[in-house]
Amino acid sequence: MNSPSVDAPLVQSARRRGLSGPQKRQVRTFFLALGYLAPSLIIFLVFIFIPLVRTFWLSSYITDPIGRPAMFVGLMQYKKLFATPVFMNSLMRSLTFVLYTVPTTLLLALILASLANLRLRFISIFRIIFSLSIAVSGATASLMFMYLYHPSIGSINYLLELIGITPIPWLVSESSALPAVSLVSVWLQLGLNTVILLAAMQSIPDELYESAMIDGANGWSRFVHITLPFLSSTFFFLLIVDVLAAFQTFTPIHIMTSGGPLESTNLLVYSIYREFYFNGQYGFAAAQSIMLFLIMLGLTIFQFTVVERKVFYE
Amino acid sequence: MKRSLFALMAVLTVLSMVLAACAPAATQAPASAATQPPAATAVTNPTATIAPPKSADAVKIAFWHSMAGDIGGKAIPTMANEFNASQDKCYVEPIYQGSYDDSLNKLKAGLQSKDTPAVVQLYDIGTRLMVDLKVITPVQDFIDKEGYDLSDLEPNVLAYYTVDGKINSMPFNTSTPMLYYNKDLFKAAGLDPEKPPRTFVEFEEAARALTTKEGDKTTVYGGAFAIYGWFFEQFLAVSGGYYVNNNNGRDGYATEATFNSPEGVAIFDWWKRMVDEGILANYGRKTVDTRNAFIAGQTAMFIDSTAVLRGVMDSVAGKFEVGTAYLPRPNEAAYETAGTIIGGGSLWIINNRPQEEQDCAWEFIKFQASPAQQSYWQTMSGYFPIRKAAYDEQLTKDWVAKYPQFQTAIDQLHIAPNNRVTQGGLIGVFPTARQTIETAIEELLAGKGTSQEILDKAAEAVTQSLSEYYVSMGIQP
Amino acid sequence: MNQSHLLRKRLLAILAYAVMIIAALIVIYPIYSAVNISLLKDTEVAQYPPRLFPSSLNLANFTRALEQAPLPRYLLNSIIQSLLVMIGQLITASLAAYAFAFLNFKGRNFFFLVFMATMMIPWEATIIPNYLTIKQLGWTDTFQGLAVPFLATGFGTFLLRQFFLKIPRDLYDAAVMDGCSNFRFLTTIVVPLARPALGTLAVYSFLQTYNQYLWPLLITNDESMRTVQIGIALLQDEERLMFNTVLAGVVIILIPTFLLFIFSNRQLIRGLTAGAVKG
Repeated sequence: MNSPSVDAPLVQSARRRGLSGPQKRQVRTFFLALGYLAPSLIIFLVFIFIPLVRTFWLSSYITDPIGRPAMFVGLMQYKKLFATPVFMNSLMRSLTFVLYTVPTTLLLALILASLANLRLRFISIFRIIFSLSIAVSGATASLMFMYLYHPSIGSINYLLELIGITPIPWLVSESSALPAVSLVSVWLQLGLNTVILLAAMQSIPDELYESAMIDGANGWSRFVHITLPFLSSTFFFLLIVDVLAAFQTFTPIHIMTSGGPLESTNLLVYSIYREFYFNGQYGFAAAQSIMLFLIMLGLTIFQFTVVERKVFYE
Repeated sequence: MKRSLFALMAVLTVLSMVLAACAPAATQAPASAATQPPAATAVTNPTATIAPPKSADAVKIAFWHSMAGDIGGKAIPTMANEFNASQDKCYVEPIYQGSYDDSLNKLKAGLQSKDTPAVVQLYDIGTRLMVDLKVITPVQDFIDKEGYDLSDLEPNVLAYYTVDGKINSMPFNTSTPMLYYNKDLFKAAGLDPEKPPRTFVEFEEAARALTTKEGDKTTVYGGAFAIYGWFFEQFLAVSGGYYVNNNNGRDGYATEATFNSPEGVAIFDWWKRMVDEGILANYGRKTVDTRNAFIAGQTAMFIDSTAVLRGVMDSVAGKFEVGTAYLPRPNEAAYETAGTIIGGGSLWIINNRPQEEQDCAWEFIKFQASPAQQSYWQTMSGYFPIRKAAYDEQLTKDWVAKYPQFQTAIDQLHIAPNNRVTQGGLIGVFPTARQTIETAIEELLAGKGTSQEILDKAAEAVTQSLSEYYVSMGIQP
Repeated sequence: MNQSHLLRKRLLAILAYAVMIIAALIVIYPIYSAVNISLLKDTEVAQYPPRLFPSSLNLANFTRALEQAPLPRYLLNSIIQSLLVMIGQLITASLAAYAFAFLNFKGRNFFFLVFMATMMIPWEATIIPNYLTIKQLGWTDTFQGLAVPFLATGFGTFLLRQFFLKIPRDLYDAAVMDGCSNFRFLTTIVVPLARPALGTLAVYSFLQTYNQYLWPLLITNDESMRTVQIGIALLQDEERLMFNTVLAGVVIILIPTFLLFIFSNRQLIRGLTAGAVKG
């Protein structure tokens, strides 16, 4: 009938093989689905998975400073990862960074989205402001914050001093640099999170609330029993996306701290960048990338098998 | 959705059209467009654009650089235009390629796919790597071929880029670090503003005298050093210390880091002592943060490149009087035996380009090294001219008259003896080494060990990177 | 009772406004500060106490930023690149998400994981091989080169899948019963219903592309093909870093993104339309 061209060959292929009815349908659906996935899969194959395979291959070599393999070393790069504390340290820092940023972002975005979901005058102005950071790039935000964080002339410290709080050395001290970078990252992610949560909140059918009102539920209990469960699939989505984004945070580190002071902000992707583009250790960097990939993959599978069960979709 | 998406696209399309209207036509027109007059872009697009080639037969060469701001936006395009107008055989097209690191990475990737420029500007510390990669044609080849006269060029500057007896690249932007100080604060502290500190001890005493407190809060720090590996290299050089063995890697490949020498330890001790006493501020790694603290009057002295002078002067704009002085030395005697290392960048000719392109690259390099161009370059960028004759040009004379503080920079360059110490370390892993030192300074200031312990660890790390570098390059040092 | 109820409501509204205003000030402060600095004179940038308000409407930094980098041309390129990527991602992600949400096929979980995996590969590991690919294709200095590697998105597919899953299954079954093809169901029912999600993805993919730096830098040499973030880098002069000029450049390139965002904002958060979904 009106089916798109992607549907056509599938029928034929199923017919050719002479399969039974349900089997036929299964094969047909499979190829139909493949047709829908194909445009994405082709791009991914060429620009992500083939390079990934190349990275894996590279990780078994020592390379020259241009990145051409110079000597086959097997799994040596991976052994080196676990033999030196460098990798484990940056992995731990990355995990800490995820813990600093993801829950904070989700909580703040929930608060902002709830506020922006109120039916008040001028609310659309607030909606725009709360999600504005979606339009700001990591590089731009880092430049802005670098100036704000300046230990002596930055306006954040000046404002803190005005209200009687001791200035914070922000990016200069080992203990405050990671929180400072985390703050930038939270600010950057806040816009996207708020927009998505708000969109989800707006899609909660009014009837749900109305019937709850009739049952005499107060605001808080409506929030807990209707809003939150309804948002669970959105939260799940944001959780995964935010965790992956946090693991991949690069620009603020690159621009604001270069991994310092004392390596305190040397997150895993920054350390990979440094090995790749600075130290010319392509093989070692490739091994780190593969490990990071496996870690994120494991974490995501875990989230899907454990967390998604608790999510409800309709 | 459809409707609003449509409206949205319409807005963006209109915006695109508006932008297209005010953007210049393709900035480097194809060769055939040579007869066409240059598009009248002066009003709509104030950026200096590259005029099309004079002749359709001109050999086009790409010049990758890493200069931003006025230098990249005005000075370099102007230079290129003048070169292109000066003859009709070669046509240079300058292309900004991000930071030195970005540019080097693009070059590395380009070497695998023949996407390379004829001329590339790279930082000083990439010198050994570029030579070892065997991807360049030393400018010495061209110098020898035509007997190019080097006598007017600054010997200290040339010496830096001389590797294995050859000048490999032509110095382009050169600078050294110097001491900047606030004369008003000197007066207020009862110090003689015309007698800035010359030695480590004098610097420390001045910093102590200049530090001002209100209760617990330090309102003015005596001094501030950014955590920048280059400054350590310079302090080490003025102390007569070698960064690596084999005389800074200049009499054979360096195999070992030697900055953990007594000279290095003395620098660390001095730095740490002042920070602990609260007379030297630490604003982190970014030199601009330290510079801004100085401009804001919160620190009385700081160290930075001679090239930042104009920026500092423009920002201070008479709020206080700025003085400049030589980089402090460990003692007076050191002024005779040691000195600062020149830093900055140089121009390299890439050897996988056709010979005619390489010849044009050399022509361009010679052009930019001419006295008039060097004088223009110096006044636009704040870097040193690489040849002495540039100082006789009116532009430079006027500039030095306007910024008399620059005389210090010139004198510092000229008083430095030319030896293995002042030529600076030469290693293929310098960017890594510099970052190792920066982390070491952070460890020092955070009290993670004694100066000796921290420097030993850093030296060991650099030695290790060196040996890995030789393995990967197939070099037997 | 009624009056006290009304009073309580008013008080709550005032409280809500107060909280929102404070939150808004905090969230917007970094952006305000960028605008503020972009208007400061050179002598005002580094001073203590810091200037929290510009002393005058000083546009010199904007002129200087435009002199140092050909921002209008770069803006145009960025907008074209971002539009291409945005449209491409909307199409590829809708198709893929549709398969994941509605088609019950063998290996669905596997393929979904493949899509998710694309979000986990550090770009550091792929950028050089991709550069070599683009070079081989002869796509350097072209819009294909700028856009094609980003035409598919794991993030976008995941985002749309989450929204598509909320569309009642009954609707799909009914449509199939009526003989409606999958493609038609996608275009006539699913896409209109998923407007907020598509809008979010559109804005997000536009801005992500607009904000790229390393990729355009790597695959373009031609001034007429370069994009805005390179322009911002071009303002960051090591020797004379002027925050006011850099931030003036930032403000210039933020304007189109803010316009886009503000314009599409209503679209993003308008709910799923009544009727269809609830029916």
